[in-house]
Amino acid sequence: MKNSLRSLREAKGWTQGALADRLEVSRQTVNALETGKYDPSLPLAFRIARLFDRAIEEVFDPDG
Amino acid sequence: MMTSNLDKSDRSDGDRAKARAYVREFIPAMLAYCVVIVVVLTFGDLDGSSPWRFVWAVLPVLPLIGVAVAVIRHVRRLDDYQQRLNLQAFGVGFAVAMGAAITVGLLQSAGLSTRAGGWIIFGAGMAGWGVTAIVVARRG
Repeated sequence: MKNSLRSLREAKGWTQGALADRLEVSRQTVNALETGKYDPSLPLAFRIARLFDRAIEEVFDPDG
Repeated sequence: MMTSNLDKSDRSDGDRAKARAYVREFIPAMLAYCVVIVVVLTFGDLDGSSPWRFVWAVLPVLPLIGVAVAVIRHVRRLDDYQQRLNLQAFGVGFAVAMGAAITVGLLQSAGLSTRAGGWIIFGAGMAGWGVTAIVVARRG
């Protein structure tokens, strides 16, 4: 599943580590999310959407 | 690349805190294990005939419980994705250990005499776990 996490993060000027701390996950997990190796759990997807003040479908593209 | 500063692979503060907590719990337990092993090998008279030698022989298991608790607590602190990677490593380690146990068991039933059977199984399982953990961490 494609997502726009990297561009959203970069727009905020955050490192992967900084985003990881805000989401309470590891930097490795942020990297896996951004590279599409890992689709987040629903609670994590909601945390990501809330953090960037977006709807989940604006961050994640199920058809991607 | 313009974003390279943001993509640096430094661990996050949360990663470092988890690693510190793991080290804080794992190292004392491992040190205790090393001390007990030395004491047992020095004073345990494991090659003797006293029935107490069996008690001496299993004494190192006590600090190993602390090691196991440290590992379990560490895994519980990990996020879902890292737990998934760890599960793959534990799964391969378990499969390798079981394969080694069956192999050693079959060889022993065919007459192979070895006192190191348990250590071979332990080593194979740990190697399977360790190698897989490295591979999945790099891939992840």
